[in-house]
Amino acid sequence: MQTEALLHTPKAASEPILAVENLKAYYTTKAFGIDRDIRAVDDISLTIAKGEIYGVAGESSSGKTSLIKTIVGAIRPPLHVVGGSVCFNFEGQAYNIYDLGPDELQTIRWRHLSYIMQGSMNVLNPVRRIKHSFFDFAFAHMGLDRATFWDKVREHLRRLDLDPGVLDSYPHQLSGGMRQRTTIALATVCTPEFIVADEPTTALDVIVQRDVLTMLRDIQRDLGSSFLFVTHDMSVHATVSDRIGIVYAGRLVEEADTPTLFRGARHPYTQHLVASLPKIGDATRRASLSGRPPSLADPPAGCRFHPRCPLAMDICSKQVPPLNPLAPRHRVACFAVSGATS
Amino acid sequence: MFTIVRDLIRYNIEFAIGLLILLLLIGAVVLSFFSPYPAADIYVVPPDMPPDAEFWLGTTSRGQDTFWQLMIGLRNTLGFGVGVAFLSRILSLVVGLTAGYAGGRTDRVLMAINDSIMVIPQFPILVLFYFVLKDNMNWLMLVLILSALGWSYDARLIRSIAMSLRTRPFTMQSVYSGMSMRKILVEEHLPYVMPIVFATTMNNMIWSIGMEITLSVLGFTDVDTPTMGQMIYWANSHSALISGIWWWVAAPVGAIVILFVGLFLLSMSMNEYIDPRSRLNRMGN
Repeated sequence: MQTEALLHTPKAASEPILAVENLKAYYTTKAFGIDRDIRAVDDISLTIAKGEIYGVAGESSSGKTSLIKTIVGAIRPPLHVVGGSVCFNFEGQAYNIYDLGPDELQTIRWRHLSYIMQGSMNVLNPVRRIKHSFFDFAFAHMGLDRATFWDKVREHLRRLDLDPGVLDSYPHQLSGGMRQRTTIALATVCTPEFIVADEPTTALDVIVQRDVLTMLRDIQRDLGSSFLFVTHDMSVHATVSDRIGIVYAGRLVEEADTPTLFRGARHPYTQHLVASLPKIGDATRRASLSGRPPSLADPPAGCRFHPRCPLAMDICSKQVPPLNPLAPRHRVACFAVSGATS
Repeated sequence: MFTIVRDLIRYNIEFAIGLLILLLLIGAVVLSFFSPYPAADIYVVPPDMPPDAEFWLGTTSRGQDTFWQLMIGLRNTLGFGVGVAFLSRILSLVVGLTAGYAGGRTDRVLMAINDSIMVIPQFPILVLFYFVLKDNMNWLMLVLILSALGWSYDARLIRSIAMSLRTRPFTMQSVYSGMSMRKILVEEHLPYVMPIVFATTMNNMIWSIGMEITLSVLGFTDVDTPTMGQMIYWANSHSALISGIWWWVAAPVGAIVILFVGLFLLSMSMNEYIDPRSRLNRMGN
């Protein structure tokens, strides 16, 4: 899977479709005298070009899903945005998610911005036939009459190698992989320009994973959409993503094109992450980093990785390393790599 | 729907019997419209006749045919149960789904009302209503009062399900796709709680009919609308048991027992259909 992926060339960056700037979103809990912030998304900036597949990787509880939810504006208390902006660019028009009213937000959701959420095979209502889910979720956003809408849905399902008969089934009558692919069809039926997928292949076996990934790639190629793709599975990233951002404890620590990231990662965390991947023919034991990811309620000062970092210096525990460009499309947040000056 | 009913009849003897009883009762309701005597008229037939070929269930001391009184009484009693169940289901669905989904302050306010109604002692309140309303207390008024008292337990039950539904991915997806709260509740959550609502309907009917009969027997309702309880009330007031007019009491009591058994069997088989695990419980170890 990896070698195949390393061959694809990065797409030329055009005008970004998504620009996230200094985004901060915390879970704030104030109950029974406990008052604390969980800094799940802390000062993240990134841009995604049109037609690009951007992968977000990181371990569990590193804030991947929180980042995604904040970007699509699907947050509900206690998660709330503390600072920064999320700006989409659809058809030449800028949409700042957190400046839009609910009505304006509705006009871009689904039509332009689609969100395949975590555990997405459960987004289909278990007691209703799948066609009702399609109708409820997508009909209002398409602006078509019923007959045309159903024609379009059937055509879309056929294009994704799904039998239109699934529309008359209940979700429990489909296998996990079918349900997942149906959900993806549901999310992409309005041909959105930007698709956010949160762990779309988790809990599927590798064969179904391959189906789903192929399908996502096909959709991306057909529609020319941009993808924001989250998973902890590095082999999936190697297959799908054009560019990968590594998230550690709520911060983006490194971002590079997929081949660069796998071959020439600079941040010590990324280096360890890549080194931990098994390779065919290499039977050496993979060393595990000591320690555990920090609690986001009380993260260490300075660089959040410094307690576990083999290259830690004095400055690492005092200052937060900025995400500096190292090469044109390669950014790293590490004092040991970019020098101690900021 | 049809196959479900067919399978239930075939494999669930309780459902088959319950359904048969219900069909008999519906037959009685239909029959009541062909009654030769108006329900409220008295001394239309010779009084105190024992059951025979002409008067199948005998006649009452008030000169009414017990059989036709029973048919009309069954119609009113069943209509009463269905009316209360229908209205109180609407209330409990609205309150339960809204409170469970909205949460927060809405939930607290609705549940405060809900719990207040739950702890009100129902029977004394109903007697009080009768003494306040007196002549204005009629069949319809009692339906409304009982509906207003009979929704709280089921609203709590539905709320507990709605609270769980709120956190499911399909609800989040609905919210994300821009469905309004009303639409989410009606289109996404209502189908989910519907089987439970059906099961509670039976219990609610048993409760409301029992309540109505209790009030009628004691004379705390409009005694001119024939119902099961009203028949027993008039039989008691003419000392029917002491004077040996046993059929006047036996007919409504027998009908009530059959009605309750029917509803109970349906409710039980419905529960079993919704939750197959209850079958294991009944099978023992």
